[in-house]
Amino acid sequence: MSWAAHDLEPYAFQKHLNLKVAFVPLLIGSYAPDLMTKWFVYGIHLGPWELKASNPAQFHRGWPGFGFTHSLTFGLLVGLVLWKGFGSKLWAVSFVIGHWAHALTDTGDTVGTMLLFPWTFHFHLDAWAYAGQTGRFTDAAAYFSGLGGMWDAVWIVYGFFSWRVITSQYFDNVIYRADAFWPWVNRWVPRGALLTLYRAAFFYGTTRWIAWTIWAHVVHHYPYDLSWGGPHWVPAEHP
Amino acid sequence: MRLRLLSRFDVPTRNDLRVFVGYCGAAAVYIVIGVVYDDFLLSVVVAIAYLVVAAWLVPTMVRRLLR
Repeated sequence: MSWAAHDLEPYAFQKHLNLKVAFVPLLIGSYAPDLMTKWFVYGIHLGPWELKASNPAQFHRGWPGFGFTHSLTFGLLVGLVLWKGFGSKLWAVSFVIGHWAHALTDTGDTVGTMLLFPWTFHFHLDAWAYAGQTGRFTDAAAYFSGLGGMWDAVWIVYGFFSWRVITSQYFDNVIYRADAFWPWVNRWVPRGALLTLYRAAFFYGTTRWIAWTIWAHVVHHYPYDLSWGGPHWVPAEHP
Repeated sequence: MRLRLLSRFDVPTRNDLRVFVGYCGAAAVYIVIGVVYDDFLLSVVVAIAYLVVAAWLVPTMVRRLLR
């Protein structure tokens, strides 16, 4: 699975598509595949109970399970609902772009995604280890020790290369104008706060990449392993 | 082929850089808190709330107080 890439990819698409996309559905699409599943993959404590998938990788990416949320067909289906059901082609197209970016990015790990669901074949490049079954912290340590973390770094660098998309001028001239959502929210929320909210995913993706890297390699001394499929010190899941 | 300088570099304005420095400050604090209390890094909602407070609410209030 990927960590910061899903926060940063929408800004890269925004740079190239300008008024042709709406940022909010683009970002929601980028987060969507994990929204319903990630908490159950890692598990949560509710009082004395721990809720956690017995087979996290199967639940997250497989079938039976919620792996269909990472398929191109699911993104297209939600896009169709947004278009035909809610009448917004702009939101539909933007959602699909964000969703597909997530589904394609997650093919980089050892479990991959069922891109063409209901065909249950997993497309996987095996570039970095899927370690969601080990829990949040070991997964973070593994991810930021392998090529997954490096792939996120590519998006951070590209994000800074696209610095103009996070300026206030760009927000006013493109983001705000492209989507009626922003003027609607602006009735209650000041423009300065909206600009900050627009920048939040960029901030989150970049800062947590830095923080997890420090946490894994300075505080806890996990070893880097940038070989294909690594890090090999963690047990990787496969489909 | 002759090389020539670009007539205009796409560089941030002084105001862009001032804003960027402010965000870098907010980022540095977020990273320190996150490394010490790692649960802080796990939630995008916490990050959004933090950023709104650090990069918008506090500067807005300070500006009003200084006026």
